Amino acid sequence: MPEAILIETHNLLKRYGDKMAVNNVSLAVHGGEVFGFLGPNGAGKTTTIKMIVGLLQPSSGKVTVAGYDVQTQPLLAKASSGYVPDTPNLYAKLTGRELLRFVGDLYDLDRKQAAQRTDELLRMFDLTAAADDTVDSYSHGMQQKTALASALMHDPKVLVLDEPTVGLDPKSARLIKDILRQMAERGAAVFLSTHILEIAERMCDRIGIINKGELVAVGTMNELRSLGKAGEVSLEDIFLGLTGGAEEAEIAGILK
Amino acid sequence: MSMISPSPSHRFLPAVWKLIRLRLQISFNGFKHASTIRKILTIVAGFGLLVFAGTILFLSWILLDFLRSPELRQYLGMDVSPFLQAMPVLIFTSLFLGILLSSFGVLLQALYLSGDMDFLLSAPVPIRAVFLSKLLQAVLPNFGLIGLFGLPLLFGLGLAGHYNLLFYPLVLLTMIAMVLAAAGLSALLVMLVVRLFPARREAEILGFIGAILIFTCSQAGNLFNSFGRSTDLSGAQVSNMFSLLMRFNTPWLPLNWAGQGLVALGEGRWLTGTLLVMLTLGLSAAAFMFALATAERLYYSGWAGMQVVARKKKPLRTIQAGVHGETSRPLTTSRAIPVVWLRRLLPSPVWGIVWKDFLLLRRDLRNLSQLISPLIFGVIYSLMLFRTGGQPPPGQGQAPDWFMNSFHSLLAYGNVGMSLFVGWWLLGRLSGMAFSSEGRNYWMLKAAPVRAGHLLTAKFVVAYLPTLAMGLFFLTGISFVQKIPLAGYLYSLVAVAMCLAGMNGILLAFGVLGANFKWEDPRKMSSGNLGCLGQFLAMLYLPLSFGMFIGPLWLIPAFNGPQVYGYLAGFILGVGLTGTCALLPPWLVRVKVERLGDA
Repeated sequence: MPEAILIETHNLLKRYGDKMAVNNVSLAVHGGEVFGFLGPNGAGKTTTIKMIVGLLQPSSGKVTVAGYDVQTQPLLAKASSGYVPDTPNLYAKLTGRELLRFVGDLYDLDRKQAAQRTDELLRMFDLTAAADDTVDSYSHGMQQKTALASALMHDPKVLVLDEPTVGLDPKSARLIKDILRQMAERGAAVFLSTHILEIAERMCDRIGIINKGELVAVGTMNELRSLGKAGEVSLEDIFLGLTGGAEEAEIAGILK
Repeated sequence: MSMISPSPSHRFLPAVWKLIRLRLQISFNGFKHASTIRKILTIVAGFGLLVFAGTILFLSWILLDFLRSPELRQYLGMDVSPFLQAMPVLIFTSLFLGILLSSFGVLLQALYLSGDMDFLLSAPVPIRAVFLSKLLQAVLPNFGLIGLFGLPLLFGLGLAGHYNLLFYPLVLLTMIAMVLAAAGLSALLVMLVVRLFPARREAEILGFIGAILIFTCSQAGNLFNSFGRSTDLSGAQVSNMFSLLMRFNTPWLPLNWAGQGLVALGEGRWLTGTLLVMLTLGLSAAAFMFALATAERLYYSGWAGMQVVARKKKPLRTIQAGVHGETSRPLTTSRAIPVVWLRRLLPSPVWGIVWKDFLLLRRDLRNLSQLISPLIFGVIYSLMLFRTGGQPPPGQGQAPDWFMNSFHSLLAYGNVGMSLFVGWWLLGRLSGMAFSSEGRNYWMLKAAPVRAGHLLTAKFVVAYLPTLAMGLFFLTGISFVQKIPLAGYLYSLVAVAMCLAGMNGILLAFGVLGANFKWEDPRKMSSGNLGCLGQFLAMLYLPLSFGMFIGPLWLIPAFNGPQVYGYLAGFILGVGLTGTCALLPPWLVRVKVERLGDA
């Protein structure tokens, strides 16, 4: 029996003037599940993610996180979720340790518990040596790991990640993959967007593909294969078939 | 498959032109896509500058012609012609030194901290071309500013002295050569310093020192005036000044050769003039070529060195220790008590934001320079107050006692108003920019479960505590100098604390309405007119709220009422108004806070 639904969007729609960034996206992610969200550039992935974590107000539709409506119960929804953006804009003049403690305060963690959790996360992400350096001296990968550590400070039920492995070395990328899998095994819902189809194929229990703001396919790998044409066995084939056939042909023509 | 083979731009000058053309294209696009009002303003400003330069030319022509008149020579009893001949020397020296010093900061920014460096250095463009285009781009505004004053003055001198036509193009040519030489040397200095210190930190320190120096110098005049230094110049002083300037016009200084040579050419002394001008142009070209040749090596290696970030361990001297957990180092007792007290008083998210903001204010020098200006202002004006003692003028001693007492009170409280003015200034930055200062980091607060009320409270506290401390510090100093009675001092304390709280509320609310998170440079934090409107309203609020506190203190005794009623009425009216202003505006914008940062 599947666990409870922890992320649910219902007819989610976001309009910027005349442009429809996200159009009637409805999906559900259960606890214990890693959900991959794929789509070409500008398809609406980040907009959808921002609406899920409460950074952006939908034009219409509804999002619930851990059973709480993000619009009407934002504090409860946010307290249940952790978010890692695609660009980790962190307070440059705080040290890694100070940043994590600040996040602990924001999530109202007990002081001792926050200090202990900070040390654990710093150790886990191999940031202990740089913990007392200011964030502006960190490399992109270190900042990405710090952002992930801050998202994990309060041990959220829902973890939302926008391109989490961009700029990470293979060891760190592997670490993040392991952590996300562990989170799911402990009952959390992990929602991640990625361009790396191999990650989605290997890590995700289910995959959603968004194109031009519309959710064009959702399901397990087997379910997606059944949606595709005969012979489309890899996620890449299915993805290109659903989103980019025309563009692909055009690019090939230019390169001939 | 066909391949397009790009031809690398190995040739130096075409590559420079390509890079400069890119800049021009960006500027043109900026103008093309600007709003109609901005386009009109730009055109009007351009014409305004031309008119300004024309006016300087005309005035300098008239004035310098007048200075050559025999009547003036007879009146002053001295010949000012040598001074006039020294004028180009002064202008060229100022130009050279001005560009040399003022270019350091802009060159540091342009050569090392601009965002397009990765793109430019990965393209097949000679490094010297990148260097030169960046140098020109950085120096042109300063050159324009100095040229705007210098060129019309020199042309005015030429017209007044009836110099020959060759003088004018040579002035321009010499000016350009000296600017390039000064900029080249300044760039060399930048490249050398960057090898020793990180460029970003250098820029921060430079900005901080520059801002403090400029502000201190601008206020120092007032302080000197208050200490009785006269700014009136006597005839003897003018004469001394002229002779000092003429002594400066020595032929042995290479910096003087340009001015002396141009004057000589203008007056038809061809041999001396040609020699000196050629020497200037030759030396300038040599200095510039040296900078260009050295840049090939220094610039790239310096820039490449910047990419390797060396992290240094910084000892934690923090207020978070002791309040954040057992693993942190303990604080000294004197510091821990108020911090721990604050920590217990405030909800956890509020405390977290307050603590974070204080750390960032202290660590980022760009913030610090904006905050320290009001402090310098306060110190200078307090010194002036110490000087005068804050006593009213005795007049002829015929005024009634109640009038003199009220006048004394007014003066005393008027000086308290000065400390409130300093508070207004500080709050304009701390409170008005409280939300904007989050910049692109705001997502962290927005994604966290923090109530709008908590966020507003935290920002209120961050702005209020330092302002209150500074306001009370000035108030205490002023009260001590003016020997204000204890009751009056305590009353003033309440008035200052409450007036600042009300002002904080107003500025915070307008800061929310005009919040801008999309900035890179803190100077561009403020966008739109709402911030200015908030400052304006807070300025209007200041005398009104303060008047509520002190108005009854004069009015009631003036109608023979007991003084204590004046205090009571002032307290009720003042606390009523300021309390409302402290709470109501933030309460009104709380819904807006929830929507802040939606993009």
